[in-house]
Amino acid sequence: MPRTSENPAPPTESAPLRAATFHCMGTVVSLTMPAVPGPGGHPAEDELAAAAAVVECVFLELDRTFSLYREDSEASSLARGELSLRDASPGMRERYSDALEWRLRTHGAFTPERPDGVLDLSGLIKAYAIQESGTSLLALGRTDWCLNAGGDVLVSGSPVPGGTGPWDAGIMDPLDRGAVQAGYPLGGRLRHSALATSGSAERGDHIWRQRGEAPAFVQVSVAAADITTADVLATAIVAGGIPMLDRATDGWDIAVLAVRPDGALLGTPDFRR
Amino acid sequence: MKARGALSAAVASAGILLAGWQAGTQVAGVSTTNNGSTTAAGTSGAGTSGGGASASGSAGSSGSSDSSGSSGSAGSSGTSGSSGGASTAGTFKGSVVQTRFGAVQVQITVSAGKISEVTALQLTDDDRKSIQISNRAAPLLRTEVLSAQSAAVKTVSGATVTSNAYLSSLQAAIDAANL
Repeated sequence: MPRTSENPAPPTESAPLRAATFHCMGTVVSLTMPAVPGPGGHPAEDELAAAAAVVECVFLELDRTFSLYREDSEASSLARGELSLRDASPGMRERYSDALEWRLRTHGAFTPERPDGVLDLSGLIKAYAIQESGTSLLALGRTDWCLNAGGDVLVSGSPVPGGTGPWDAGIMDPLDRGAVQAGYPLGGRLRHSALATSGSAERGDHIWRQRGEAPAFVQVSVAAADITTADVLATAIVAGGIPMLDRATDGWDIAVLAVRPDGALLGTPDFRR
Repeated sequence: MKARGALSAAVASAGILLAGWQAGTQVAGVSTTNNGSTTAAGTSGAGTSGGGASASGSAGSSGSSDSSGSSGSAGSSGTSGSSGGASTAGTFKGSVVQTRFGAVQVQITVSAGKISEVTALQLTDDDRKSIQISNRAAPLLRTEVLSAQSAAVKTVSGATVTSNAYLSSLQAAIDAANL
């Protein structure tokens, strides 16, 4: 860690955070990093821009293949029946295989197929893009960052360069979008680095509740070690209600905060202050 | 001998229960959670009565509890009375099993050949605090929830935020402050 050797200042809130954003997958992706010069002495702004470009590349490439909003994507060809999974690209088949595995693990609460039978992997692809971006950032030597894609969060390290403190994440109040309902620390030395939130009200197109019952939860947040687990389980719990919530907390090392339609909260012990 | 078998089977099944409970936390293929220590449950019998140390230890497979006798007890030193029957009594400790909540060890008390008590001897996390085993979600008052100072929040998680919704979101405000 040579970068701290010339800086005698204690690792407090010394380096300001800097953010870069871009649009992809129908949402906005934010990358936040502490503003410190790079290993080669590159200015902090260049470091951030370079890191954000890598993340954007990962997102764009996956979106080109998996977006159902792009006529020319492989996913659209599959949806139109012009292409069969047998002839699909290895990447498509891998993600489909992931999705089927998650469907098994969640007893069907998570499913990659829309009610009309169209394969829709978008629920998984955003998480996969976040995960792959994180892997790329780490491979490039970026250890302290926070990536937020449409409300799904993955962090690494600490907001203070070289520090051990966590990133403080807030959870949006579903009944008051301008307010934070709860907090949850991620990264640092803690075991959870990812936090994903699913709702039954917004973008309900990728959550299909079983049997048309009234939703047990209007919003479910799941913290986990990885973003795919957090994202899939949050989606599955919204779809599968209390039974899925209990299966998830019994079966995975996660923290969950779930909001009932009347605003009442259910939370695992980690969410108790 | 029958009581001895039932005893070791009981201890073993307690161990299996624990390990299974832990294995269940990793749904993927990671469920190889130390079968060794599972089947080794029932060692170090702190029993009192009886004489003949009948080490009926077959390095048992992780059988179910009804495969009495051979299951569990990987060469244990249980001190059950060789004549078995109602004379079996004492306390027996299972081996320490590592779970994701920390170390867990179970002790059973046997009297007249029956388990009269099951005690958790060791249920601590790494900080030596006693722990809550259940990770189930329970009702929380809003004042009980881990809160966050809005000013300290570095990022906000919410149900999928579309590009349009982003414009009016807290995340947008946080990003704007850091741009």
